[in-house]
Amino acid sequence: MVTIHEFEQIGPYAWELPQGFDRRMRAPARIYGSSGIVDAALADRSVEQLVNVAMLPGIIRFAMAMPDVHQGYGFPIGGVAAFDAVDGIVSPGGVGYDINCGVRMLATRLDEAEVAPYIGDLATALYRRCPSGVGEKGTLRLSSRELDRVLAHGARWARERGYATDEDLARTESGGCLDDARAEAVPDRARERGLPQMGSLGSGNHFLELDVVDRVFDPETAAAFGLQSGQVVVQIHCGSRGLGHEVCTQYLRRLQGAPQRYGIEIPDRELVAAPLDSIEGRDYMAAMAAAANYAFANRQVLAHSVRAAFEEVLAGKVRDWHLRQVYDVAHNIAKVEVHSIEGKSRKLVVHRKGATRAFPAGHPELSGAYRAVGQPVLVPGSMGTASYVLVGRADSMALSFGSSCHGAGRTMSRHEATRRAQGAHVLERLAESGITVRAQSMRGLAEEAPEAYKDVDEVVESVSGAGLARKVARVHPIAVIKG
Amino acid sequence: MGGKELLGHWEEIPHTADLAVRVWGETLQELYSAAGTGLADLLGEVDSDANATIRTIGLEALDAEALLVDWLNELLYLHETTQVVYTSFDFESLSPTSLCATVVGYPLAKRRAYIKAATYHNLAIERRSRGFEVVVVFDA
Repeated sequence: MVTIHEFEQIGPYAWELPQGFDRRMRAPARIYGSSGIVDAALADRSVEQLVNVAMLPGIIRFAMAMPDVHQGYGFPIGGVAAFDAVDGIVSPGGVGYDINCGVRMLATRLDEAEVAPYIGDLATALYRRCPSGVGEKGTLRLSSRELDRVLAHGARWARERGYATDEDLARTESGGCLDDARAEAVPDRARERGLPQMGSLGSGNHFLELDVVDRVFDPETAAAFGLQSGQVVVQIHCGSRGLGHEVCTQYLRRLQGAPQRYGIEIPDRELVAAPLDSIEGRDYMAAMAAAANYAFANRQVLAHSVRAAFEEVLAGKVRDWHLRQVYDVAHNIAKVEVHSIEGKSRKLVVHRKGATRAFPAGHPELSGAYRAVGQPVLVPGSMGTASYVLVGRADSMALSFGSSCHGAGRTMSRHEATRRAQGAHVLERLAESGITVRAQSMRGLAEEAPEAYKDVDEVVESVSGAGLARKVARVHPIAVIKG
Repeated sequence: MGGKELLGHWEEIPHTADLAVRVWGETLQELYSAAGTGLADLLGEVDSDANATIRTIGLEALDAEALLVDWLNELLYLHETTQVVYTSFDFESLSPTSLCATVVGYPLAKRRAYIKAATYHNLAIERRSRGFEVVVVFDA
């Protein structure tokens, strides 16, 4: 069993398990966070899973866990690993089933007092216009031809359909479209699941939230992001729905024979991998990119529905009900990116499983105003607690391939959470904190109770202390909409 | 094999973020049946007074573990696309690399969990004193 004594503390918020810990490791395993974060990681199977990632052939530098790390399947959640894009591998288990699950933030021009009289009506309109729950149909039923366009063009498809502005696309990771997508690489069954679900939130920890900016740590960057103290913002957390789940399922199935075929040793079947330059590897990357595009389009359609709800409830009643996009980030994805390794530029496939890209100012992949300040890193807290907006730091490029945490990170199983708290009590507590809730499932509320998660403040302190990203603003929720 | 009562069992085991079950049975049929029952119980309660839905499932896979994942993901796919939870399983044939089964299900009455997929994580069907045993982690 691993203990903290086997880790070498290499910085105030950085810990490394040497490659020699297990002879099968091909690189060290690194955790970013306080000693408390490492203790929490040691309490479940996160470290074992991180060590498994460090055993993958061709891994560059080290296997990493962000401060919100917790046990997943295959990669730990909060796991980051990179492989050479020419002769390296890709592992669907390093992305997971909800491909391009991510977070979008929209900012109003209103303060809490202006929204307060309408908060109940707004929550109800959002709940009605943004369908939630597993298998729940979305607001749009796509034709097969239109699905092809979604898979190829992502949020750009949404702009053609009038669901997005140019600014929305400029303020979305990768402009809301991965160019390597190929619709024909998406299995039929995934297409079938994707056709009815466009514009739906899904279930589990996915949510819509209205928040108020309660702290601004960096006024200049906050202003560049369009954020200021007291302002009401909206967060949307969801992904590629059944289409993405099916892409992962089908490709994990297809790749089960790949390790033997290509001589790739893997410690866990969920980590099956294929060379990027193989038929399986190329097809997976193309299908994963197509599913990512579906997710970008889905969050864009949901943003359109949120705007429609604001117009329905607030038009004529407040000075300006319009919403501007702050940013949209992916946190389950594999991307080909250029990184500097020992002074040389190399193309890598960076797997982020429950981790957010955190590129700094000046990075060539950032566009518009964010090229000058760095990209927003959206870190939703647990239900009913604070969320953070961070900005990428230059240090993150060397520390974590430009990655940061993606949330607070669970510490308690759903089963344990429902054993300890009833949904009705969670609802009552949220109401006592002044939070309006619209939820389909009381059990779902209990599963997502704040005590089932780490303290987001501690996670963000670790992110900041480790140099992965810098704090810009904090928000607290005033309404939660859940499946 | 039709009509034989399958005596497999399952129990939920702790997992920080997702759902995990330990499943056991004297035979592979019992194991697969217990895994299907476990999945159904995790998904929620059914309305057994409603009309039953009957489907036939035929699958082929590399080995018994991959077949188990395919089996559970097939039941999940049918669940998501029809909102039916399959609770009864009759295997016409089952080998470590293929199965053919008739499954019977009822509409979901009260949901317990949302499940995205059965995973291959650390998946190994092992022979123990009580027969076959396996731990399956679901992405929830």
